[in-house]
Amino acid sequence: MIGYVPGDSPLHRAHPYTPLALAAGVFLAAFAVSGPRPAAFVVAAALGMGLLGGVLRHAVRPALAFALPVWALLLVVHGLRGPEPFVAVGPITLSESGLDRALVLGSRVTAILVAFLTALACVAPPRLVEAMTARGASFARMYLLVSTLTLVPRLRERAARILEAQQCRGLRLGGSPVARVRALGPLVLPLVLGALAEVDEQVFALDARGVSLGGGARRTSLWPPPDPPLERAVRWAVLVLVVTLYAVRLA
Amino acid sequence: MSVRVRFAGAAFTYAGGERPAVCDLTVELAPGEIMALAGAPGAGTTTFLLLAAGFAPRLTGGVLTGDRTSAVTRPGIVFATPWTQLTGLCHTVRAEVAFGPAQHGWARERVLALAEDAMRRLGVGHLADRDPATLSGGELQRVIVASALALEPDLLALDDPAAELDPEGADALYALLPAVAETGAAVLVATPDTARAARVATRALLLEDGRIARDGRPAEVLA
Repeated sequence: MIGYVPGDSPLHRAHPYTPLALAAGVFLAAFAVSGPRPAAFVVAAALGMGLLGGVLRHAVRPALAFALPVWALLLVVHGLRGPEPFVAVGPITLSESGLDRALVLGSRVTAILVAFLTALACVAPPRLVEAMTARGASFARMYLLVSTLTLVPRLRERAARILEAQQCRGLRLGGSPVARVRALGPLVLPLVLGALAEVDEQVFALDARGVSLGGGARRTSLWPPPDPPLERAVRWAVLVLVVTLYAVRLA
Repeated sequence: MSVRVRFAGAAFTYAGGERPAVCDLTVELAPGEIMALAGAPGAGTTTFLLLAAGFAPRLTGGVLTGDRTSAVTRPGIVFATPWTQLTGLCHTVRAEVAFGPAQHGWARERVLALAEDAMRRLGVGHLADRDPATLSGGELQRVIVASALALEPDLLALDDPAAELDPEGADALYALLPAVAETGAAVLVATPDTARAARVATRALLLEDGRIARDGRPAEVLA
């Protein structure tokens, strides 16, 4: 499941910037490391985030769904077609340096996916809005970010409603892969057209509520989430760690 | 200015439209007036609302000809489908209703007081801590109307606002309009529910094919 998962973990209770900073830290660290072992540490850090947020299953399952095909491709491209020397892994002979490269790249993709899906699952979009409002972020920036974060759950919900309606009209979802692909037609068109029609009315509703106001009107923060010094320190520590990793790499 | 919106020979054509959605509009809407708009589907009532509230052509595109004079600074608008009017950024009804006033940058205490008052007037105070996504269509529509009222609009435009409401909810909504008008707001309500509209409206327009066919007392125009 991609999207916010209600919970009461430390990451759920944290200021919204903290899980996002941790995920950003994992993202940057993943590109700072170059060997399979450090890359494995970055994956472990991402998994630790998932554990801390109590959403490991929610983050790992979709992450693997995306990452496994990438892993397979990397192993083929770098492992089977890489340069000498070769090592035997069971019945298969793989390029040693190619295998290392595949492990680093695969770990990078997996860690980034797990970290960001964890942040997505732990940060309630309305709390993020409040946090950004308290920091004086522009509404356009907030709306863009939160709309992106909530896009998948909203589309999934709408798609489920459309599928139910289409099934009532006789759409059959089972059968061969070809039949399943054919069933996408009656889903995708209403999904896209419905979303566009909704946007039309939402533009009026949002405009009426002042989102287009110019003249320096700054949105009032109503329920700003607390941002304790410890969390600010954690975010600074993430920044220092990332800078250190890049400094070590460049040294 | 004692007129909230004035049209003089106005016509509006949507972008790509072959003919005007409304034309030959000459009408004034005064503060405190409740104007009912009636007409068959496609008659131009929604377009009239959008023009009066200033959303067309600013947000819709299209071409407005003739004269429109407006003193509307804070329009509120409500459509028939409440789920398309949620901000998508709020996880409680209270936050949803407070969204507009907060966006205007008003003081926190004022924003929360306006939200509480609007929820009370619409009878949704008991839903304040609920997630809007979990409400029924009728409950949600009342939340949307409360969100519009919390802004203290100087023009409230309602497009078939009772479509999602049960008869009691619809009665309560229409009964609220005179109180809104008493604050000095002009109220425009486009509706097929002419019986309820006639009870509260001070004036009615019947649109036919984008033109004003009748303009007068609700009991006569909406009969």
